[in-house]
Amino acid sequence: MSTPSDTEVIGRSLDQPEAFGLIYDRHAATVLRFLGRRVGAEVAEGLVGELFRIAFERRKTFDASRASALPWLYGIGSNLLLKHRRGEARRLRASARMVAAGEAADRRASAAALDARLLFPRVADAIEALPDGEREALLLFAWEDLSYQSVAEALELPIGTVRSRLNRARAQLRELLEPGGEKRVRS
Amino acid sequence: MKPVDLARKLRRDAAFEPAALDRGKAVLMAAIRREAEPKRRPTIVPQVPYQDIRAALSFLERAFGFREIPTARFVSADGELLHATVEFGNSLIGVGGQGHHGAISPMSGGVESQFISVQVDDVDAHYQRAVAAGARIADELRDHSWGERTYWALDLEGHRWRFGQPIVEVPQSGRRRRPSEH
Repeated sequence: MSTPSDTEVIGRSLDQPEAFGLIYDRHAATVLRFLGRRVGAEVAEGLVGELFRIAFERRKTFDASRASALPWLYGIGSNLLLKHRRGEARRLRASARMVAAGEAADRRASAAALDARLLFPRVADAIEALPDGEREALLLFAWEDLSYQSVAEALELPIGTVRSRLNRARAQLRELLEPGGEKRVRS
Repeated sequence: MKPVDLARKLRRDAAFEPAALDRGKAVLMAAIRREAEPKRRPTIVPQVPYQDIRAALSFLERAFGFREIPTARFVSADGELLHATVEFGNSLIGVGGQGHHGAISPMSGGVESQFISVQVDDVDAHYQRAVAAGARIADELRDHSWGERTYWALDLEGHRWRFGQPIVEVPQSGRRRRPSEH
């Protein structure tokens, strides 16, 4: 007997709710890492059960044409994270400081190190300043390595909209890398 | 460096306690147990007559989010759908034809003699859904002085439905509707 797909498991859970536990066993670790990157371990640990509880209660609306439940779970997580924007911003700024310090240590006293100290906090600010929909698309793509198709499924958007959101997010970040942008970074 | 790589540089994994996943699973399993407990069926079930039951079922799901209970269908020997039951929240509504019981659709009778009042979690979202599905709005979405936000809609055969959500006062940050689940 072959392993049942997520869709089959969710379908079965409509009549046998306890079957949904298998969806947790399959995906909770991935989803927890995703939440942790965004809001840190403590908040993420509190959110993961909540996320799966919501998924369980909405399982009737799961689109059975999808192969995996994971993008759907990411989408529910993205919604939950909107309530934790402040913690997310804090973590992002802390990460930027760590990266900047790391780069500075790597290339002691070089011009690049100086740039890194200035650049990465600006990257964090630029990500923070993106509209929610663009930031979410960017982070699902860049941090979770989701394909355009999976981002589209997670955010329940047409793939063209995901593409344009990512392009706008890229354009914002590119400015920080361009010569004109660097001047702004240094100023 | 590519722009996306800049963002990627800021990705940082969190360090979890080994038991982190167990606690999450306990939350899920508690929700599963709650649902698996035998539910008490509502005492009163409105029965709503339609000329076209199948069209009504499709409309009620698309517009109002009422879900048919597939196992509750009554079908005649020659395959005609005689009666179905939809559920919403903890309530049931019977969707039947016109006939021996004497009740008729407003589409046949030209008048509605009653309406059904439904409490929803997010009345704004519910309104958008109903409009998108082609429900006729009989009374626009608005706040009432008694602390409720409502709208009224007519379904595809002219039955009248009222959808409402309590408004709760949130100190200092002004008036808020009761949040739905998230």
